[in-house]
Amino acid sequence: MQPSQPVPSFNRRRFLEFGATAGALALARPAWAMVEEQKTRRVILIAFAGGVRTRETFGTPENVPNLQRLADEGVYYPKMRTANRGHFGAALSIFTGVGQQRGIRENGRGPEPTLFEYLRKDAGLSAGDVWITTSGGPQQVNYSHGTHTDYGPKYAANTLDGDGIFNREFKSVLTSLGKPREMPEAEKGLLEKIREAMDPDSDDAENTARVEEYILAELTRGTSDVRGANAGDGKALRVARNLIALFKPKLTAVVLQNADTAHGSYNGYVEVIRRNDAAIGEIVETVTGDPDLAESTAIFVLPEFGRDRDLNSRRGLDHGDGSDDLNFVGGLAWGPDFARGRVVQDEVRTIDVMPTICELFGTRAKRAKGKRLAKLG
Amino acid sequence: MTLLPKRLQQTEAPPARALGLGVLRTLYMDLLGRPPFSAEIQAWRGRGRREWLDSVLGSFEFWEHWLGEQLYFFFLIDNFRPTSEALGNLSRKLDLGQLSVRDAVHRIGLSSSFELRNPGADTFVTVAMEQFCGLRVEKNQRELEIGKSLYDGKPGLFLGRHGSSQSDVVHIAVSDKRFARSFVAREYERLVHQAVPKKALAGWARSLQREPGEYLKLVRAWVLSEDYDGRLQRRVAQSGRLFIRTLFVDLTDALPTPEEAEPLRKALDGLSDSAPLRSILVRLLLDSGAADLPKREEIRDPSLWVGSHYQRLLGREPRKSELDACVATLAHPEGRPETVLYALLTSAEYHRY
Repeated sequence: MQPSQPVPSFNRRRFLEFGATAGALALARPAWAMVEEQKTRRVILIAFAGGVRTRETFGTPENVPNLQRLADEGVYYPKMRTANRGHFGAALSIFTGVGQQRGIRENGRGPEPTLFEYLRKDAGLSAGDVWITTSGGPQQVNYSHGTHTDYGPKYAANTLDGDGIFNREFKSVLTSLGKPREMPEAEKGLLEKIREAMDPDSDDAENTARVEEYILAELTRGTSDVRGANAGDGKALRVARNLIALFKPKLTAVVLQNADTAHGSYNGYVEVIRRNDAAIGEIVETVTGDPDLAESTAIFVLPEFGRDRDLNSRRGLDHGDGSDDLNFVGGLAWGPDFARGRVVQDEVRTIDVMPTICELFGTRAKRAKGKRLAKLG
Repeated sequence: MTLLPKRLQQTEAPPARALGLGVLRTLYMDLLGRPPFSAEIQAWRGRGRREWLDSVLGSFEFWEHWLGEQLYFFFLIDNFRPTSEALGNLSRKLDLGQLSVRDAVHRIGLSSSFELRNPGADTFVTVAMEQFCGLRVEKNQRELEIGKSLYDGKPGLFLGRHGSSQSDVVHIAVSDKRFARSFVAREYERLVHQAVPKKALAGWARSLQREPGEYLKLVRAWVLSEDYDGRLQRRVAQSGRLFIRTLFVDLTDALPTPEEAEPLRKALDGLSDSAPLRSILVRLLLDSGAADLPKREEIRDPSLWVGSHYQRLLGREPRKSELDACVATLAHPEGRPETVLYALLTSAEYHRY
């Protein structure tokens, strides 16, 4: 990694000044507009989850050439302390900025507001601006919002589980039902009148229609045919890439999961890491290939936790030994306002990422326990 | 399918709490995971809740639904869905009284699907403690470590009982009194849609721990309770699985096949707000012709037609503004019965029951 001079556009003083005024004005206009120098207007947050050790990522750069490139061009944190050792709670901690103790198979919303809720309510982002794509089925859609009474579903992210929706079986059932009939404008008008009579206060029709249209289009784009060791993750990353290219959302989050195959197969685990790195590379290409995105997008990548130090009896890797391999992960931040080629040896936490992103959008995660990532700008 | 009251003779009490269409619909959805078929509406409307419970509780369909809910709770779905005959037969054995609910959960815990879903000592024992006994491993680290030793074949005292194998971990966990407590709390919440009353929980858990066959009596008492009357007054969100089954029954008077239901359920579970995908499914099903709907001009009394669909789908009469909008649609050359049903089936109200 080549050390270089940090770009002075995102220093601590500016951050503090920014944070102090942003809260009051955030709803009036996009907060970044108040800081002339700040270029970041979009964020991609990838939870490289499923339990991924640094040894197989930045410790073996040939496995992750794309992540390594981002780290070389951005800020790398080799010592990020993780929040929990169950996938669900640990990933939820990333999105809430609070260490969450949750059951491994718990299928419920967390009590703390998520990053998405803060950005939608406090930074004024619209539903169409905040997305999360996932790989782990029904449990992971719980990341989209929590149960806190000040926030909640009204401020949720649009959530798509790549493998859940874009798979051959689902496509096949839809195909068997035929194509939806094009509704004439007059009929649409009649439909709207009934809907208005039933629910005059409803205001999500536009976003619902937009997501509906996107799903139908995505089903024709080949995502359903993604195969291989990282099929679920591959779909989540591909859906995210397409969303970024089509809608340029302000925040796109991705949660991966397939690396957990490590319990039974070390080689399979490494293969998932390599494939996911390649798919992340495609997202980076999409960003860097679009001048508007390239100069306005920040990317954060971090696992939710690592894995055990030693192989288990099946020549796999579990996650329960309490070792540093499990408790610390390597994460990175890349973007137009961040330092380049910086390695921050200070210990930071996975829960620090979320408040950092909130600050980028000019708001503060009031209940988060994490702090802004150190030495970012 | 529970068309007729096969266990009517079990209750001699006079019919009480006559079943209106809305209540009947909710009962079916809570206990069987689907709304009533047309023939069942004809058979049961106006009769008593006790009588209905006699017919449904402990039926094969009741246990099939119960098993589906348990497998979902343990996330034994999609790639982890059990395919073995042994688990497939659980509902039959429960129906025949050859197994109790605890036996059934025990067998789920011993299945290869459960092991595949929860690979490795740490995950397996953590899930056994959390999902069977409702324990937080963060507060029970010592038990977790002992359980992991058992999993690896070493003898130890796990949750107060001796064991030395992976199967002992499951056996000990489901035999523990905390299993009964956790199971009762979970089931009460699933059926009554509110947290279990703390005062009653201890007694119910003791009863189930002593005699697992008491489960059906508990369910019966819950559904006849004032708390359940309260539940009937408030709508709760439909799960993806319930929505699929409900939509098919409402439009085609038949359940979807498993080959249809599972991919659709999986897809709905993939969205935090599944309204857009539900809307797609409603459109497709309506446009596919699977629903036997009249043409606009064949509807002799539009108000009656609209009213009957509000009753059946939403369990209530339409308000005047709703009726006017629907009738106007049916009077318009571009309006269709499908347009009205599309509005009803994609309304937020339909997605709650």
